[in-house]
Amino acid sequence: MHLAIESASKAFPGVQALDNVSLELRPGEIHALMGENGAGKSTLIKIITGLYRPDGGRLLVDGREVSFQSPRDAIAAGISAVHQERNLIPRFSVGENILLERLPTHRGLLDREAIHREARRYLDLLDRGIDTRAEVRTLSVAQMQIVEIAKALSLETKCLLMDEPTASITEHETVALFSLLRRLRDEGAAIVFVSHKLEEVFAIADRVTVLRDGRNAAIGEPMSAMTRQRLISLMVGREERIVERPQRTVETDVVLEASGINTAFGHRDISFALRRGEILGLYGLVGAGRSELARAIVGDIPVTGGALRLKGKAVRIRDMHEALDHHRIGYISEDRKQEGLILAHSIRENIAVTIWKRLAGMLGLIAPPAEARAVLPYVERLEIRTPSIEQTVGNLSGGNQQKVSVAKWLAANVEILIIDEPTVGIDIKTKAYLHELIHEIAEAGTSVLLISSDMPEMVALADRILVMHGKRLVGEVANGRRYETVSRAIMNRIHAVEEERPAAAE
Amino acid sequence: MNTIFRRLLMVEWSGLLAAIILGAAVLAWLSPAFLTEFNIYVMLRSFCVALLVGFAQMVTLAVGQLNISVGALGGLVAVLAGGMMEKLGFPVAVAVPLAIGIGGLAGLLNGVLTVRTGINGFIITLATASAFTGINLGITESIPFYDMPPSLVAFGSNRFFGFPYLLIAPIVVAALLGLFLARTVPGRHLLAVGGNPQAAELSGISRDGITMLAHALSGALAGAAAVLAVAQLGSAQPTIGADWLLLSFAAPIIGGAALTGGHVSVLGTTLAVVLIALIENGMVLAKVDPYWVQFVLGALILAAVWLNRWRAVRTGMG
Repeated sequence: MHLAIESASKAFPGVQALDNVSLELRPGEIHALMGENGAGKSTLIKIITGLYRPDGGRLLVDGREVSFQSPRDAIAAGISAVHQERNLIPRFSVGENILLERLPTHRGLLDREAIHREARRYLDLLDRGIDTRAEVRTLSVAQMQIVEIAKALSLETKCLLMDEPTASITEHETVALFSLLRRLRDEGAAIVFVSHKLEEVFAIADRVTVLRDGRNAAIGEPMSAMTRQRLISLMVGREERIVERPQRTVETDVVLEASGINTAFGHRDISFALRRGEILGLYGLVGAGRSELARAIVGDIPVTGGALRLKGKAVRIRDMHEALDHHRIGYISEDRKQEGLILAHSIRENIAVTIWKRLAGMLGLIAPPAEARAVLPYVERLEIRTPSIEQTVGNLSGGNQQKVSVAKWLAANVEILIIDEPTVGIDIKTKAYLHELIHEIAEAGTSVLLISSDMPEMVALADRILVMHGKRLVGEVANGRRYETVSRAIMNRIHAVEEERPAAAE
Repeated sequence: MNTIFRRLLMVEWSGLLAAIILGAAVLAWLSPAFLTEFNIYVMLRSFCVALLVGFAQMVTLAVGQLNISVGALGGLVAVLAGGMMEKLGFPVAVAVPLAIGIGGLAGLLNGVLTVRTGINGFIITLATASAFTGINLGITESIPFYDMPPSLVAFGSNRFFGFPYLLIAPIVVAALLGLFLARTVPGRHLLAVGGNPQAAELSGISRDGITMLAHALSGALAGAAAVLAVAQLGSAQPTIGADWLLLSFAAPIIGGAALTGGHVSVLGTTLAVVLIALIENGMVLAKVDPYWVQFVLGALILAAVWLNRWRAVRTGMG
């Protein structure tokens, strides 16, 4: 199949996810789609598979313009995909999941023998060890990923899109997958392959398209002429952007110190120190375990080993409540809509939630006027644009919502603030304001642990940057505010770790 | 032996079966009236309508929806069936399928409204429940239709020793429903949409279509329950369905259904209704005030949900 996207654009509230992006996919090629986190790769794949409808641009299949209204249309047109999200029915058998939308029947009833026979054929291409009769919920994450790949393969489409298919499978399975993809390519299939692992891309891709900030940085360049350094340059940007904000060297007391921490999530031997008034960056690719480390610090994920010290004293934090009330640690979740804010409540209630105990008067009653008096200064200081503090938070823009999240912790007067992806989906102006605000908070003495996949943000804000990969800290990069130098150093650090492992791709 | 017992404990309906056997044994020992032919007939007869009501809710739970209107819809279908037979003189063979069809259409209306408006099915069916009851009372002015065809009344009250003929209907429906959910494509798709809507959609299954199907099926089952209730009572009472709502949730949930959708059990729901019928019967035999049945039902729901939660945690698949 020949598939082409011409100048596709897609906006979400507050962000332009794709801006005039093109991709050309020829029959008989494996085409790598590369880019940093948030560059727009998954959005592009969701447009091709009919999950999103583009705001502008054309999608051509074998030269004819098509418009997919739903994933059904894309499947009917011969396009199948492995998405990043888990897309299996937990209570169904492996076989049923693989053949879900075209279960074989015999006289109107499901033909179970045929289901397992058919599913076995595709599963055997990758892994003979998975029982097609097992319920999917009993499988490991890696096995589920194999089932997803088998499901996509079983459609026998001429166009296969794979969004990070190797993220959670073993090296052995990766080898099997690659030889299979090569065979499909040689039979004329067109394959899009998304991966953060450079060696995989160099091992398997014929051409590469690179996205950066929702735009094309490269369109269909042959991999034979590509070098590792040039590919990284295309992904992170060539020009040396120097951030205005001066470099800081923080040499105050250590406030939070982790030494050799292990967690129930699987972090191993995590050690770092956060100083008073410092902004410590924590960078890593999706799945590196950054947010989970933050959750472990605030007691949401059990710490199973090592020691956590606050101002030199070893502590054991069991939940968020203890983190805030006893240790003055605040956590702004990356998922502000689900976890950070109560969308149906007013600005007043959302900010005051952390200080209700302090505000409660006699008989434990809270007077709304007292809340308003406590909340108002923050609303003004953070320039939250709203007609009234009684406004429902759900009605605010993403940027103003994030300001409310920050205000909530400022009101609580925390000493340590963990901020997870503070500016995802937020417009540029508010983003700049939030950066200024985070800087101000730190200058005022609050220690900030900043988690971000946004490299420019990291370079603009962090004093030092910790690099996390595969649930371990793999290095620390000094932030000289020189964008290209820093991002290159971080990428090299991550890819060096990848290479230290035995080569999977060949 | 121990492992067999453990494995049995992990099967969702094992606890129910044990409770039924134990309960029946205790009742048989305590009350000589329990094992009489007539008492068994009474118990089985009370089981018929309840099971169809449980199934009506079970299919909406399967797809991850709720149907608050099961009782109101049943009441409406009951008086329409009664009216068709008494006032319009329709023969049973015409009126019954027509009534069940109307139930299906009313359910489809719930489904279409839910899918088209994007409003939560709970709210939609809460509203249609009130509307259905309004139509019911508007037509009947609360006066039942008493003049039912003799063949229908006979079907509702005759028996073969302890076996009421009425029981044929729920047995057939249970078998068909079990087959539908386990072995047909639309049945599997219904559970797939309930189990992971996004995954089902990405696989090319029409989520909207399946949601509407589940609501239509729920309406048809509530309609069938209404017709059985008319046959059982011998008259089309406007109050039929008024007390179905709690039961409709109790049966599938005690039977092991997941409230989040994607997992229901025909056998579990059936055993749950048997257990409820057994408890009601036991309380009658023990001359306990029937109002306490409500209390026991509530306690039973809590116990069942707790047991399912415990099992989910134990198997690490919560």
